[in-house]
Amino acid sequence: MLSQAIWWSCIVLEVLLLIRAVSGRLISRYPVFYGYIFFVFSQSILRSLVYRWGGKLYNPVYWTTEFLGFVMGCWVVLEIYRVALAAYPGTAKMARQVLAFLFALAAAKAIAALWNDPNLVLETTPLQMERALRTVQAIAIVALVTVFAVYSIPFGRNLRGILLGYGLFIGQRVICLTFIPPQGHHFWFYAYSASYAVTLSLWLAYLWSYQPSAVPAGSLELEQDYQRTAAVTRRRLQAAGGYLRKAVRP
Amino acid sequence: MIELSSLIAGVVLLLLLMGLATKGWLAARHLQEPALETGEADVAQPCPDVFVSRVFSRGDWEFVHGLGTDDIQRLFKRERKNVALVWVRQISAMIKKAMREHAGVARQSKNLEFSTEIRIFAQFLTLMAVCGILSIAIQTAGPLSLAGLAHFVQRLSLRIVKVQGSFQPAPLVKSAGHA
Repeated sequence: MLSQAIWWSCIVLEVLLLIRAVSGRLISRYPVFYGYIFFVFSQSILRSLVYRWGGKLYNPVYWTTEFLGFVMGCWVVLEIYRVALAAYPGTAKMARQVLAFLFALAAAKAIAALWNDPNLVLETTPLQMERALRTVQAIAIVALVTVFAVYSIPFGRNLRGILLGYGLFIGQRVICLTFIPPQGHHFWFYAYSASYAVTLSLWLAYLWSYQPSAVPAGSLELEQDYQRTAAVTRRRLQAAGGYLRKAVRP
Repeated sequence: MIELSSLIAGVVLLLLLMGLATKGWLAARHLQEPALETGEADVAQPCPDVFVSRVFSRGDWEFVHGLGTDDIQRLFKRERKNVALVWVRQISAMIKKAMREHAGVARQSKNLEFSTEIRIFAQFLTLMAVCGILSIAIQTAGPLSLAGLAHFVQRLSLRIVKVQGSFQPAPLVKSAGHA
């Protein structure tokens, strides 16, 4: 009964979100994000049909759509990165380097695990696989948000909502996947399903109408300035360190 | 192990987003001149060296202590602690201002260097951590005990190094002595 209520509330929220996207012309601004919402909506309908009439097909359909959803989610994160950093090439470069480093680290860890245990892929359940992938996704979002915050990148209301909602969804999902038992309908099973309904409500509030992001005023003459600025910053930080040392060595 | 790392990643992400939602990080603000925090506008010039030496030295305390009045001693300690905390906050604001101005230029620079940025960020984090530790030390031990604390830590670390040396096997100690 509770899972039915969660399922129906998600469907209603998705339809509302898509209606607002078309009527508020948000769909042309964030095509990947709304593509993702449409995908999740279609996936819910497909899964419910297969559950009722597909019999043994349900398991492969569930996991295939779940991993497709994961790939679409990564695309949403890329859209956030693309839109937010379009006017900030320096931060975009920094974000690319940080993400490349994290993915290289995750790949190295996976290769090392496979090297130690060649049967790992066969022994890993889809649930464990999803948890590992979602963890990497969560770490990537943490890194991106940190870069955005360090460089004070201004976000418009819509983009902020997309980032907040998707981050919240991934954070909740990773925590639920840590505790969820493989079988049965327990608290974590319902929390896992309900996390998406919470995310949809947040998206609906933040994406009710289009609000443009702030645009930086004019381009500065920066190309020759970066090295000088970095040197000045380091000198200023060293000077601050010198002041702090005076407190213990007056 | 993977469960714990997943849990940590999820919790860190949720905490970060909570900060984003409640503290207004990433909220659109005026891009030309970011609003300064309270007191940040006053830190264009740091305090003179004489002032800092005075706040953390025991000279004034010894004079007040010599008067032998408990009320004056208490008042002196309280005021000195407040002044020291204001000074740490000023330095912290100065560090944040330097970092904010750097980020303002770096975010639009096409020739930004990853290694330089990481070094600057590490330096920033270290200094902010030192400010935090200093604030806690001033709150708990008072500014007058800081120099004493530093000397104590230095003596302690020297003693640990000495003890470590005495645990080394004899030939190593001998060869180290010859070196």
